[in-house]
Amino acid sequence: MSSTMAILPATWDMYDLVQSFLRTPTYHLVVEVCLVLLIIKLIFSKSYKPEKMVLSEKEKEELIAEWTPEPLVPDIPEDHPVIQLMEKNIVTGPPGKYINIRQKSCINMATMNFLGMVANKTIEDEAVRCIKKYGVGSCGPRGFYGTMDVHLDLESKLATFMDCEEAIIYSYGFATISSAIPAYSKRGDVIFCDEGVSFAIQKGLVASRSEIQFFKHNDMEDLERLLQEQAVKDKKNPKKAKVTRRFIVVEGLYLNYGDICPLPKIVELKWKYKVRIFLEESFSFGVLGEAGKGVTEYFGIEVDQIDLITASLENAISSIGGFCVGKKYVIDHQRLSGLGYCFSASQPPLLAAAAAQALMLMQEDPGMMIKLRENCLKLHEGLTSINGIKVVGLPHSPVKHLRLVEPSDDRDLDNQTLQLVADRAIENKVACTVARYLEKEEKFLPPPSIRIAVNCQLESTELDTVISVLAKSFNEVFAL
Amino acid sequence: MNVGVAHSDTNPTHSYLNSKGIWLTYLLIIFIGHLLVLSIPYFSVALAWTLTNVLHDLAMFVMLHVTKGTPWVTSDQGDARTQTQWEQIDYGQQFTATKKFLTCVPVALFMLASFYTKYDSYHFIINISFLCLSLIPKMPQLHGVRLFGINKY
Repeated sequence: MSSTMAILPATWDMYDLVQSFLRTPTYHLVVEVCLVLLIIKLIFSKSYKPEKMVLSEKEKEELIAEWTPEPLVPDIPEDHPVIQLMEKNIVTGPPGKYINIRQKSCINMATMNFLGMVANKTIEDEAVRCIKKYGVGSCGPRGFYGTMDVHLDLESKLATFMDCEEAIIYSYGFATISSAIPAYSKRGDVIFCDEGVSFAIQKGLVASRSEIQFFKHNDMEDLERLLQEQAVKDKKNPKKAKVTRRFIVVEGLYLNYGDICPLPKIVELKWKYKVRIFLEESFSFGVLGEAGKGVTEYFGIEVDQIDLITASLENAISSIGGFCVGKKYVIDHQRLSGLGYCFSASQPPLLAAAAAQALMLMQEDPGMMIKLRENCLKLHEGLTSINGIKVVGLPHSPVKHLRLVEPSDDRDLDNQTLQLVADRAIENKVACTVARYLEKEEKFLPPPSIRIAVNCQLESTELDTVISVLAKSFNEVFAL
Repeated sequence: MNVGVAHSDTNPTHSYLNSKGIWLTYLLIIFIGHLLVLSIPYFSVALAWTLTNVLHDLAMFVMLHVTKGTPWVTSDQGDARTQTQWEQIDYGQQFTATKKFLTCVPVALFMLASFYTKYDSYHFIINISFLCLSLIPKMPQLHGVRLFGINKY
């Protein structure tokens, strides 16, 4: 028994082995007996089978007979307001500075055509040239025969314009932010998000499966309180904190409020609490800053301080699609994990070319942004003089919400009142729209409003018309 | 479930060990591994058996009790991210046939190793410690327990 490993001969015959088995030490015997008992117990105890679903033929047929397919399109009553509006509001021709609606040529205050790129001749020519060269579609996702030279060209132009290392383009503006958020933030991560964010961001938050902490709209104290709470949690559980990513998601210019996020304070909090910032600039790109680079330029903050900037190309640029810019290693991550990038057909080449052309026009003429700002200020001043409504949004914001000063308790009633105002405005050749939301799906539903979008091409006289028509419409409706 | 057959379970770890031929494959891998160790010159039979036992227990410990989540398929969207492979087998049920089998194999291997090392005390200590490494985490009482918070996240 008391032999060392070195003394053990290289091989033995079976006789030796059996002899040693007969001379087994007691402790070993005890252990082996215990193990044998364990095996016997395991073999003779009841086995719990994992549940298996085996259906008999009869059960299968019953299930099939029971099943009634849901209609692809739900039944909607004929008098549904949306259907009525769709039939009533037929638009012909491009929705440029003027729009042909209800067979009237109206001043367009409803389209997010801030820089007047819609129906621009040079952009149209560029798109037509592209159709002749590439056809209408790209026929595949970017990673699967869907990449054309115009895509790469637009990406590099956007990156240069935004002073970032790299850009990535998506084929749909809504899909840009809702793919970008879940590409980085996963289950177990924490996102701090403003309550006023638009619907696309909300969908991105849901898709990320992360823990979402909402802070009050533009309330930095509330955000800091949440960050402090998170810091306390992290201190208690440093191991978990090590594998938790933290993000702040804000919009540059809020679609639903027309105000700007306090970016300098957010950047300060970012470094203090070690959080990453995702900035959604769909409405500030091409609008804020001298060159139209957005909120970062507006506040004079280096783009490097922001981890990811996304924007839609559907507003100021007036194409279709969206883009993200940032550091090369950040953006490249999306090329394999941005769902909208990987699994969607790429942007049609003509739209990429149109976006590139619009970007060039924007760079050539920074006067657009100045004119837009002037128009916004003038319109804001005029609208604030109307009685019974408040203008929500900053004076120089191109998105403004006209809300009732004394709203009723009934949301539908307020919406109907505002719809009456919009109808009267269209009668008088100013097209504007009531802000529509998916009311059941919105996380924090903003109050009813008429949403005004400002175009830089509007002349002073036209702005005066808009103000007087809106004032008249409101007064008429309030007098009812 | 059989590997390569269409099914709707997002996490194959729940059931792949119940596939046809998996148990036999497992035993064959151990056997071939043992032959490989045995074929190394200067290794005695005793050393080869102890090595087989140690390597097997270590490998199974890493594969069943250290690795978490679904290593190959991500369609479960991280549901099993905090569970070890052992905890996922058969949807976390205890004393299923597969779990019993996976418990019996290291015990049998230990007995064989003991026999071929002539019940030597040094080999016994090594073999029994690695057997414990293999058996203790399999206890139903330790389901979902992370001792001292090791490997918790």
